[in-house]
Amino acid sequence: MRTVRKGGPRIERRTFLKLAAGAGVAAAGGVGLAPARPAAGATTLAVWTGFPELVPFYKAVADAYGKTHAGVTVTVFSSSLREIEQKLSTAVPTGTGPDIYDIGTNISIKFIEGGLLDPNPPDVERTLTSGAWHASVVDFFGIGGKHYGLPLMEGSHASMFYNKAMFREAGIAKPPSTFPELTAAARKLVRFDASGKMTRSGISMRLSGQGSGIGEKFRFVLEPAGGSLVVRTPSGKWHNGYDNDAGRAALQFYVDAVQKDKIDDPKVPHDADAFAAGNTAMLFREAWVIGEIQQKNPKLEYGVAPIPRWKAGGPYKMLVQPWGIYVNGKSGNKRAAWEFLTFLTNRENAVRLTTMTGWVSERQDVDWKPLLKDIPQFAVFVSPPKDVVFYVEPIFSVFDEVESKLADRLVPAYVDPSLNNAPDKVAQRIREMAAETDEILKGAGLYGMT
Amino acid sequence: MPAQSMAAPRGRVSVWPARRRRHTLLFCYLALAPVLALFAYIRAFPIAWSVILSFHRWDLIGASKPFVGFANYVRLAGDGNFWLAVKNTTIYSLATVIASTLLALPLAVFLSGKTRLAALYQTIYFLPVITPMVPMAIAWKWIYDYNYGILNYALSLARLPSVAWLTDEKVALWALIIMSVWKVLGYNLILFLVGIRNIPDVYLEAASLDGATPWQRFRRVTFPLLRPIVLYVLVTATINSYNVFTQVYVMTLGSQAAPGHAVRVLVFDIYQNAFQYFHMGYASAEAVILTLIVLGFTLVQFGLVRGEEA
Repeated sequence: MRTVRKGGPRIERRTFLKLAAGAGVAAAGGVGLAPARPAAGATTLAVWTGFPELVPFYKAVADAYGKTHAGVTVTVFSSSLREIEQKLSTAVPTGTGPDIYDIGTNISIKFIEGGLLDPNPPDVERTLTSGAWHASVVDFFGIGGKHYGLPLMEGSHASMFYNKAMFREAGIAKPPSTFPELTAAARKLVRFDASGKMTRSGISMRLSGQGSGIGEKFRFVLEPAGGSLVVRTPSGKWHNGYDNDAGRAALQFYVDAVQKDKIDDPKVPHDADAFAAGNTAMLFREAWVIGEIQQKNPKLEYGVAPIPRWKAGGPYKMLVQPWGIYVNGKSGNKRAAWEFLTFLTNRENAVRLTTMTGWVSERQDVDWKPLLKDIPQFAVFVSPPKDVVFYVEPIFSVFDEVESKLADRLVPAYVDPSLNNAPDKVAQRIREMAAETDEILKGAGLYGMT
Repeated sequence: MPAQSMAAPRGRVSVWPARRRRHTLLFCYLALAPVLALFAYIRAFPIAWSVILSFHRWDLIGASKPFVGFANYVRLAGDGNFWLAVKNTTIYSLATVIASTLLALPLAVFLSGKTRLAALYQTIYFLPVITPMVPMAIAWKWIYDYNYGILNYALSLARLPSVAWLTDEKVALWALIIMSVWKVLGYNLILFLVGIRNIPDVYLEAASLDGATPWQRFRRVTFPLLRPIVLYVLVTATINSYNVFTQVYVMTLGSQAAPGHAVRVLVFDIYQNAFQYFHMGYASAEAVILTLIVLGFTLVQFGLVRGEEA
């Protein structure tokens, strides 16, 4: 019995060691059995995007590219923009990121500062500065005298979608061209049921939720009013640009829209879905909404015009937000990746991008006539009116934080009854918001007045 | 001889168990080593790293990671968002833990009896526990929808006015609490049920023979014997509720969502600071504070329940 007991544990230990060794061998074997590497000469390029709707476009371009580059395979991974930002922020510095990714400047600037993006090689630089893109767009990709990445698409050019059938029904002949006209039109277009509950908003504004999108939509009103979220000083520093009449007027517009004019309400359906479903008469949004409408309600009778002027004689304002595509500085396939990127952003694929996704290419050498013949609503996005004044997305790392924290203060302000007919309180709120913006800039070492 | 022959085996007996014990222990440690290493790697090390990181400034991407001492903690003390998150999380946790415990206990007592369809009820109550949080939160977003939600439809049948469950900043947090109570109720119920069924019948029978009413039997016999389970439920529910995130994230997404500030909770604030604003050191300091809060509550709960036992 004792022998058995003595031997028992020893046998178990041996068994354990054997099992452990076996597991090690199996694991090693597993590594050996991992998916086979591409054959010599073959290259696989991994692309990550924060826009799932771009995946079919990337795949179509990859298929077209594969016809002349048989050895190149492209894999595309997509997730929500926020998740991609997080994944890239951890994967790129650790060398586990994709070969190619599209991302906003709030992340790319950090990669550039961290030495994780290379300046464009000479041939790509020649492509970028060939005149295919407007000089202001090219400048957007320049930091410290060098350019990084290529423009993939315009992320904004936000304009005003309006429902033509509803306008006709309300006896409104044309889209409003000033904000007072917009309010007047919205008051005619809004609908309530017998109990006084809003059933259709006159205009759909971003009134609830959280995140930088709310701050961005506030800019659609603030900029025409003459303000800016942040202003750059000659020395390259930044400070808030809305603790002024324009900022107060913009907030007042929102407060009045919800509380006095009652042309929108946080409780009714909002955004592109609401517009496509006929739950709102007007909406400030980007070109991708056209693609959304084509999918969800292709018979919708609608037009697109620039976001109105603040008052007659003032300028139309339009946000420019170039969205770039980059080759990972730690990619092992840089050459192949740059070649694919150059192909991806060529003129032919610019049309493909807009046709397939609704997002508009930044290229200025594209003949949009065939597209506009089919979908005239793209006109304001691909060739904005000559009298539009553009304002560009600021490029610094904490801009998303500025917009998001502003959003946290805007949402309660819109519905706060104490702000109704109370200009002093509106001014106080704006002062608090602007102070927070400046604090964020100070924290990042970006604040300055001169 | 007899004495010697007796001594030798005794000597062997006294030596062998010690050696065997050492070998057995060594074997145990070796067997546990992979799991312990994994635990250290994915649990202990990140916690320690978070504490270290809380004294640094780091943007996740850059190599620079300057030591800033207690600056992150000092900044937290003056951060309105942080205090709002502490307040919202505390309200959420207190309401969720209290409601889910108070509802689960009587239900468990009821279902522990020889009720027909008890198994069916248990299954129904447990279903939300095993349902993944994200699809569930999306479903609840629809349930809460002001215009098309089934909850407002039910209210309309009772001739009650519609409620803006998500978009009204005064209601949004409570909407979150209702959903979370629904989600955890089944888990608490099962724990209480197991505890009640482990109470020997003889105690309850003796109490009945002594003329105890059902309420007296519950108060004097069932509940005192359930105290360890109650402690476990309170501790785990508190920890879980202080870590609430997914439902907040889902319900604040999009234009028809809850206002961010109204449902700002600690983990959401940590997430935003860490992975949206890339203030990793600052977010780590916040995480350390959250850990201390949860630890504090847990110790208080242990103290209260054990104090009563003593």
